[in-house]
Amino acid sequence: MIEFRGVSKTYQGSDSPVVNDLSFEIPEGEICVLVGPSGCGKTTTMRMVNRLIEPTEGEILIGGEANTAMSGTQLRRRIGYAIQQIGLFPHRTIAENIATVPSLLGWEKQRTAERVDELLELVGLSSDDYRDRYPAELSGGQQQRVGVARAMAADPPIMLMDEPFGAVDPITRERLQDEFLGIQQNIKKTIVFVTHDIDEAIKMGDKIAILKQGGFLAQYDTPENILSNPDSEFVASFVGNDRILKRLSLLRVGDMDLDPVNGGAEGLPRINERLTVRDALSELIGSGSTKGVVEKDGEKRLLTMEAIEELSRAGNASRE
Amino acid sequence: MSGILDVLRRPDFFELLRQHVLLSVAALLIGIAIALPVALVVRNTALGAALAVNVGNIGRAVPSLAILALCQPFLGFGFDTALVALTALAIPPILINASTGLREVSTDVIDAARGMGHSGGQVLTLIQLPIAAPVVFAGIRTSAVQVVASATLATFIGGGGLGELIVEGTQLNDTAILLAGSFSVAVLAIITEVGFGALEKVFTPKGLKIAQKRGR
Amino acid sequence: MSSLALLLQDLSSIEDPRLVEWDWISENFWEDIVPAIQGHIYLSFVSVAIALAISLPTGVLVSRYRKAYPPVTFVTGLLYSIPSLALFGILISIPGITIGPTPVIIALVAYSLLILIRNTVAGLDAVPAETIDAARGMGLTSSQILFKVELPLALPVIVAGIRIATVTIIGIATIGAYIAGGGLGKMIFDGINRGFPTMIITGAVLATALAIVADLLLLALERYLRPWARRRRT
Repeated sequence: MIEFRGVSKTYQGSDSPVVNDLSFEIPEGEICVLVGPSGCGKTTTMRMVNRLIEPTEGEILIGGEANTAMSGTQLRRRIGYAIQQIGLFPHRTIAENIATVPSLLGWEKQRTAERVDELLELVGLSSDDYRDRYPAELSGGQQQRVGVARAMAADPPIMLMDEPFGAVDPITRERLQDEFLGIQQNIKKTIVFVTHDIDEAIKMGDKIAILKQGGFLAQYDTPENILSNPDSEFVASFVGNDRILKRLSLLRVGDMDLDPVNGGAEGLPRINERLTVRDALSELIGSGSTKGVVEKDGEKRLLTMEAIEELSRAGNASRE
Repeated sequence: MSGILDVLRRPDFFELLRQHVLLSVAALLIGIAIALPVALVVRNTALGAALAVNVGNIGRAVPSLAILALCQPFLGFGFDTALVALTALAIPPILINASTGLREVSTDVIDAARGMGHSGGQVLTLIQLPIAAPVVFAGIRTSAVQVVASATLATFIGGGGLGELIVEGTQLNDTAILLAGSFSVAVLAIITEVGFGALEKVFTPKGLKIAQKRGR
Repeated sequence: MSSLALLLQDLSSIEDPRLVEWDWISENFWEDIVPAIQGHIYLSFVSVAIALAISLPTGVLVSRYRKAYPPVTFVTGLLYSIPSLALFGILISIPGITIGPTPVIIALVAYSLLILIRNTVAGLDAVPAETIDAARGMGLTSSQILFKVELPLALPVIVAGIRIATVTIIGIATIGAYIAGGGLGKMIFDGINRGFPTMIITGAVLATALAIVADLLLLALERYLRPWARRRRT
């Protein structure tokens, strides 16, 4: 759906590029996270999709067509845009903020109003309470939700999100991430998501593009593969020394293939099937037991540390 | 007291009042017509805006009598000369406020506006100007009060206005005339201040009033 | 390029004996011009000093007892709104006040009260509460805190107010010459009355120069006192 072909960006007066020969493709309906240390060009890359920044070399194709086929302004009305500092228009109500792109596109008032209500409910804000308020009356978390709603208003097939949950505390951020993933399950937009946080990348991304300083693409793959088979030292160290454990957080206990318990289940700690394998491991360690009982679909199954160990070794090329 | 009222009932009082108001309004409108476009042009460049603000600051420092007096040897006496001088006085506060007001619109808000598909012109008219409006209006208000006050001095270069009563009262040593002139000018100035203050509130978008109250 | 030619033309017209007679200037320099400058500086300086002596304590008091702030702002604001010539007119109508420097100084002081008090209060408000708290915690008395912590920190804002007040005062002092206040305004008025452009231009240019010099000097002082501001402008 979105394809980068040899995209580079060098600013005038500078001799080193901030984005260097990027080529990769983002399939439709997936979240692609651009992640990397500061100076890796991730935000610049994202902003080239909607041409807030123009590449010095290469091209970006959307749905097979170059994104230069129409004017920048027209293009941006078809792409959702949510930034870290949110940038809500202080002189407009929440409803007017959300209605921004629909009004630019000339939607009919009734349709716009309904869409605003729909989106407010979607991001968890009561429409009656919030539509006529002003940004200054909202907390940071609420503003961030409105920012996401605003980006989705015209139902664009593509969305660009630059640390959209960055301006709030970690607890609120986790909630926003979960809620957004829930929304995405239903709407399946193609999303370019920028973050500096590898954990957020792993959580949110269907695909992750790790960028290096100087704008190079270090690795582009699923979170699973990046954690199992990091391409280079850089990726391995960026991902973190606990990447094995991180992999375990990608799976829930309930999805594991476990044997049923054969008696002797008393005294063993209960493990909730909704926990990630990583959190389950943490509980086992804490309980001092190497085994635990998982209840799923009415059946009791046995979780052992051995099983977890096996899981962590599967698909893991020994590169250390 | 009754002496003052007599002066106010003089037939020429109304004419002087009319001249004063006309001078002030004309100078203010022309000043706006010059200062606002300049501020718009420099709004996106840091250097241009800084230049505009510096010129404005120097302009504010110039004594009003000096400007009025300096126009006289070159342009002679009369209404038009006074108008030129007063317009020059009207420009600085508007220029300063409009330039800084537009520059101070948050870059995040402008980035969001562009990123969502506003054209350059739309960013200006739908986003920048409404948000900068209160500051711009404060500048217009300052300018208006300054112009009305300085129009009092127009009498010295033949521009007419209520200052003539003050001069007449001083020369004739007539307290009634003197006070009639002084009070009417003072009242006019206060009405301008209060009136434009109300206008400023009208032009402040509600969302910004709330933000101001909450210190955001 | 043609605008440059026009400018040169204008400048050379200043050489025009009808507009600026440099002889007159050099003849009367020490007799009339310098005393006028001195008189003007004296008027301005005295007015600023008196205004400060009134507004600093008032500002401190009003920042502590906020209820007094609105009425104080109202009165000083009212005084500020009255055009200078009108205020002069009202003042000399009061029995006991004759024309001369006195009513001029009274008016100049009255004009600057609003901005000086307002900036004193704003400057004191801007002192972080934690700083005052720390000072109290270290055992400083209230007046020590005021003089050693609050006022020094409020200084940049106060100086900003002094700058505006000074420039305003220099400007209005020119008008004060109309009621025999002296200063550079006298040259302007005399020049107009006698139809002698040289006097007008000399007086006006010098008054302007004085105002701008004062503005720039105090601006430099303000910037010096506040090195942390004016750094970043995105």
